[in-house]
Amino acid sequence: MEETALYPPIEPSNFDLIVIGTGLPESIIASAASAAGKTVLHLDPNPFYGSHFASLPLNDLVSFLQSQSQSQSQSQFESQPSQTSDDYASTPLVTRPLYSALEFNSYSSDPIDSSRKFNLDMAGPRVFLCSDSMINLILKTEINQYMEFKSVDACFLSDAEGKLENVPDSRSAIFKNRSLSLPEKNQLMKFFKLVQGHFGSESEEDKISEQDLESPFVEFLTKMGLSQKLKSIILYTIVLADYDQGNLKVCKDVIDTKSGINRLALYHSSIGRFSNANGAIIYPIYGQGELPQAFCRRAAVKGCIYVLRMPIVAVLMDKDGGAYKGVKLGSGQELFSSQLILAPHLTIPSTLAPAEQVTTCHDVRLSDTKEKVARGICIAKNSVNPEVANCLVFFPPRSLYPEQITSVRVLQLSGNVAVCPSGMFVTYLSAICDTAVEGKKLLSAAMDALFCMPISGNSGNSETDNLCELTEGKPCLLWSTLYIQELTTFQGAFHSINYTPMPDEHLHYNNLLDATEKLFQEIYPNEDFFPTISVSDDLQDDGGSEQDP
Amino acid sequence: MPSRRRALLKVIILGDSGYVNKKFSNQYKATIGADFLTKEVQFEDRLFTLQIWDTAGQERFQSLGVAFYRGADCCVLVYDVNVMKSFDNLNNWREEFLIQASPSDPENFPFVVIGNKIDVDGGNSRVVSEKKARAWCASKGNIPYFETSAKEGTNVEDAFQVIAKNALKSGEEEEIYLPDTVDVASSSQQRSTGCEC
Repeated sequence: MEETALYPPIEPSNFDLIVIGTGLPESIIASAASAAGKTVLHLDPNPFYGSHFASLPLNDLVSFLQSQSQSQSQSQFESQPSQTSDDYASTPLVTRPLYSALEFNSYSSDPIDSSRKFNLDMAGPRVFLCSDSMINLILKTEINQYMEFKSVDACFLSDAEGKLENVPDSRSAIFKNRSLSLPEKNQLMKFFKLVQGHFGSESEEDKISEQDLESPFVEFLTKMGLSQKLKSIILYTIVLADYDQGNLKVCKDVIDTKSGINRLALYHSSIGRFSNANGAIIYPIYGQGELPQAFCRRAAVKGCIYVLRMPIVAVLMDKDGGAYKGVKLGSGQELFSSQLILAPHLTIPSTLAPAEQVTTCHDVRLSDTKEKVARGICIAKNSVNPEVANCLVFFPPRSLYPEQITSVRVLQLSGNVAVCPSGMFVTYLSAICDTAVEGKKLLSAAMDALFCMPISGNSGNSETDNLCELTEGKPCLLWSTLYIQELTTFQGAFHSINYTPMPDEHLHYNNLLDATEKLFQEIYPNEDFFPTISVSDDLQDDGGSEQDP
Repeated sequence: MPSRRRALLKVIILGDSGYVNKKFSNQYKATIGADFLTKEVQFEDRLFTLQIWDTAGQERFQSLGVAFYRGADCCVLVYDVNVMKSFDNLNNWREEFLIQASPSDPENFPFVVIGNKIDVDGGNSRVVSEKKARAWCASKGNIPYFETSAKEGTNVEDAFQVIAKNALKSGEEEEIYLPDTVDVASSSQQRSTGCEC
């Protein structure tokens, strides 16, 4: 907090919008609001951009997770709605813990010794499909000039032993695939053509019937005569279903045929969109944390003011009506705005809340979801598949053990995307779960399938360390972590105050982006969510128009 | 396009607020409202594009993100010859750059220092002498030094030549860009216009 004292006061003191936290939804909204001509102040108590969507050096990731896993002692601000400037009641903000059951295992000091060479995603695994809505927004806002991408080379399906099979996700991949039988190849090819026909053809005959579109996708796949294996490939590696679609009793997200074929079509249109992306999937160099930073820079260019390392200690409410007025910063400064957006870990204690609860403008989001995401990060010296550097691995339901009801998704990245030192590999795992115990069981089983554990206590001796690699033929873990992350939704707390959500359980940003756009439209119903930039703007050099003070 | 990265050099401009944004870089603004300026430079028979990133105001509260610094091929430190504090802060900006960008060879990373606004008030309000500035540059490993005027752009061309030359020499981080970075911009363009650019 010494550092905040060094800042000059923030000017002006009135804004259209104040945003606290630089996670992806906050950054997109700051950027969209700035593009719409709103005056925006964007603050973050952390010294880095990205909040829960950041990519961090190894040591920083560990300390961030630790700091966010316990309720912050409130003693510092334990003063109640009281003593502030004249007309406002000051309601202290508290931090709620959103990570739990943290577990860190270090088998070698190598990763920690080069901590700063890592850019570890807090919300991994996450990738872009080349044609998905986030890539389209990146191109529309031209923030692609701040980012660079690399291809994720391969997708695999894995069994409990860690035996990886290539996913036949495209025609050429089917052609090259060696694990499918010829009839299976024909079935799959026929099915891809059928879906293509549905979207591409004018003729009614080629369309999939309404009745089929509304039926569960798994039933449609069965009807089309696809084998169990092919169904599994389509459902869990391409359509990216979370829950066991074959067991309706436990399945919380039955995917209907309509959304199934939409996702399949999105996947296929992603292949070949960019000339030098091998498959459907790409990943940003330096990690996913580049994305919120790029949106923040876009916002800054449009006039948004940025202040990192600036805690916010209280929300200022109107004494009479209890309406939101502004915020009080760690520096003591009070700033005012019409709208406030808060990162998900900040809460306004309900006992202190003024009378005016939101009942009218927000409907869905009164409680957080019960499910959690289990996330894991592994660091190893070798790839899970010696032939590829960056790849996805899927463990569909029941592949690890019979009671497994959700997919485990895995993304391995190498030094060539600058997320770790060259010669090392970072692997992200995630699964949706109801309890921490279940989540950890899922990820541990997947980690056991992919990696071997060095014999403990020998971390100095590289020969014993590598013993397991020789005997089991799997990469040996150098370092790993597991943690449980809460899922939260967009929520209106009070009139004019909205919360952004935690990173969701998905591999992509589609749902998050949809929800972010929706929130923006609710706050600013008359503004475009990133208006299309007109190219006809004056391209003249404006160097001469500047004014000397 | 394996040589894309070589032909495109990332140059970042750092310095105290107010001297950076508006003054130096405005002279080379290619498009209105862009924070992102490009400048073609010919060097040894090859054409290079300097991609010049200014701080977009995020330096005001020392809130530049690590993404801004990353992969820079050259760092231009700018100060106002009429404001002592902007000169005093050069060292802080240099150190901040080295911490954030963590270049593999910090000793030899190419910096350029520019003393700006030498024409203000006919030079009468100048408080940092050229000699003093050059001495500081010499003490930091012979950083090339230029003086420019905001109005006329004196010496800016020379500065860009040196920036290109030094950036090329360092070849920082080159290996990770070669050869398979996905070029989303030109590919999408190709798709929409159907032309090979």
